[in-house]
Amino acid sequence: MNAATFLTRLYPPAVCERWGEDIRHEVSASGIRSWPDTLAGAARLWLHPGDWPETFIGQTRRVLTVALFALAAVTGLLLRSAEPSTTLTADIHHPATSLWIAPLLLGIVLAAPLPRPSRAALRTLTASAVRTLTAPAAAVVALCLTAWSGTAEHLTGFADAAVVLFYWLTLGFVALRLCAFVAHVTRTAALPTTRRLSTALLHIGTGLALAAGQSLLAIVRTAPRPGSLVETLTLGLLAVTAISAGHDLRQKRA
Amino acid sequence: MRSNDAQMLVLTVLADGPLHGYAINTAIEELTGRKLGPGSLYGALSRLEARELIQPADQAAEAQERHRTMQITDAGRDQLRAELQQMARISAAGLRALGITPA
Repeated sequence: MNAATFLTRLYPPAVCERWGEDIRHEVSASGIRSWPDTLAGAARLWLHPGDWPETFIGQTRRVLTVALFALAAVTGLLLRSAEPSTTLTADIHHPATSLWIAPLLLGIVLAAPLPRPSRAALRTLTASAVRTLTAPAAAVVALCLTAWSGTAEHLTGFADAAVVLFYWLTLGFVALRLCAFVAHVTRTAALPTTRRLSTALLHIGTGLALAAGQSLLAIVRTAPRPGSLVETLTLGLLAVTAISAGHDLRQKRA
Repeated sequence: MRSNDAQMLVLTVLADGPLHGYAINTAIEELTGRKLGPGSLYGALSRLEARELIQPADQAAEAQERHRTMQITDAGRDQLRAELQQMARISAAGLRALGITPA
């Protein structure tokens, strides 16, 4: 894959389908000096889903539903990398520092595509779940067996690094396959309405903004570490993305 | 819409007749001396189409075409006229303030 094709694929799918060939041609013709504008254009369009063309009815809602779950998955991975943390918790024993997760979970529930209540639809859904989630489930079982066997505790050097890498690759693989499963489900299930999606995005954005705020407060109070700075910035960026997309959707497609 | 933004330039060149993406950028280059970047151009085309200010020139042929030809809509012409008239008023006021008589 060359750079022009890669940059073109960063655009929302509907824009890619409509203008992909032209964008690729322009990037190839203009060379490296067009890359920043091409990247900025892709980012702007992801923040403004109300501007996406639709090549079939519900295309924007379908893409946004999957993107929203991808956003939640990235947030999950990010917070896992920060554990153990007293700043951002997600349990009932620490309500004050776990408050951020409430709007985020509400957003996910609001955006969930609802399977149609028919035997055929449920059969399709089950088949899709088995096809998509068997491999990640097997990877998780392998990970758990490795952890329970106790061998990982005595490893050092390369073997220890390999186990850590296996752990993160498994988490990444699970997140990817869950998003793929949501993408499969959106083909047959009842998609959330535009209003529900924009509300879901705004809720998720609020949760992420709260998390970023808590994280920032902790940095101000204690000595900042590079890891916590990156985490706060990423959470803030994800919050801005979700709120901006939700706001744009509400304004233009209401 | 600001006077110097990509959407205004696209509407201006499409007011002359339907064009495809690459030809739109060539016309903008002839008009302003520089092309728009791909992100600015195709972002503007997406936004203008979403606001129904431009549309595919031939809906039937559109699906088969590699490069889509776009044309300005009546709403697009109205929007462009309003923007240009506002710009003309601002331009006249600025030139008067500078003591220059518009040609």
